Amino acid sequence: MIAKALLLGACLLAPATAAIAEPDFSGSWERYPPMGEKADPRYAPSPIPDPQLKPQYRAEWERGQKILKERLEEGQPAGDNYVHCIPDGMPSMMMGMFPMEVFQRAKQINITQEAFNQTRRIYMNETLPRWDEVDPSFYGRSVGHWEGDTLVVETTGIKANVTFRWTPHSEAMKITERIRLLAPDILQDQITIEDDYLEKPWTYSYSFRRMKGYRLQEYVCEDNREVVDEDGKTHLKIDR
Amino acid sequence: MRFAREIRLFALPCAVAALAIPAAAHHSFAMFDNTRSITIHGNVTAFQWTNPHAYLEIDADEGKGASKHYTLELTSPNMMSRGGWTSRTVKPGDVVTAVLSPLRDGQPGGLLLVLTLPNGKKILPGVPHADRYKITS
Repeated sequence: MIAKALLLGACLLAPATAAIAEPDFSGSWERYPPMGEKADPRYAPSPIPDPQLKPQYRAEWERGQKILKERLEEGQPAGDNYVHCIPDGMPSMMMGMFPMEVFQRAKQINITQEAFNQTRRIYMNETLPRWDEVDPSFYGRSVGHWEGDTLVVETTGIKANVTFRWTPHSEAMKITERIRLLAPDILQDQITIEDDYLEKPWTYSYSFRRMKGYRLQEYVCEDNREVVDEDGKTHLKIDR
Repeated sequence: MRFAREIRLFALPCAVAALAIPAAAHHSFAMFDNTRSITIHGNVTAFQWTNPHAYLEIDADEGKGASKHYTLELTSPNMMSRGGWTSRTVKPGDVVTAVLSPLRDGQPGGLLLVLTLPNGKKILPGVPHADRYKITS
């Protein structure tokens, strides 16, 4: 009788277990919508608001934004890492300038961005260390866990000079991402940044569309011939 | 139409590159004069398939047997590859015609806008916001 009840219970439980199976994000993805394409409103990313920095950090940010705006108007590079052949780091990497690949295993999920071969590694079901327990780096330390169909990733330990939109931050900055499928081929990454430098958390999202069959290419920043002078102007080094 | 098809092929990489403002601005296109173009014709001396940019070196005919060397910047191999290029699309010794936005500082070089291969096929390097570069030559 007990055996029968257990069997019945197991049978009832099985479909429920299957229903909450973790989705597989493995594969190649591109930012959605691509330029020139109108986003399906169901999948459109949220706009990126300005960070609500505390007053003592806001002046620095505003100075930077002014320079950034002037340079963009002149068509000059923003002076970000790329100009110097240095990768984005987190959280900029998730803007997905080029396609990205997700490689998913139960214990570890890697995300590689084609630009600069950048790879971040997410260790599953581990506790996030305190920020001062890790050496600051471009991608920091990331841990993940599943909440139903949503992959929740927490990251800390980002170097102070690795910034997103020139926004100053402390080494204690924490990035929390909630990554889930909005449709079988649409992935959403909702990003929340918390830091002592901020009045309140900074939240925005990106959407990605699956690129079936696309294989990421190698990207080694091998020969940067663009030289930025002191005024921020760029010149091309001519071979001969 | 073949040319139209190639433009479509390039629509994807252009779009990918222009997704975010930082992407459009991460390398300078301001050093090129986008208000005019020049057209050169000559021998390819090197085609360098590298990041962050590919480069095409051309000895351009200047008439009366003279030539002038030009260095042309292209986009990046991954974008070009998604647009149909390979590292062997053009090779040293090929005689090509190139339309380019010249460097503002007067050095002999520029940003490649259109390349005509020895077989007459025109190919684009997938410049982000290509419509902002006037072809006047």
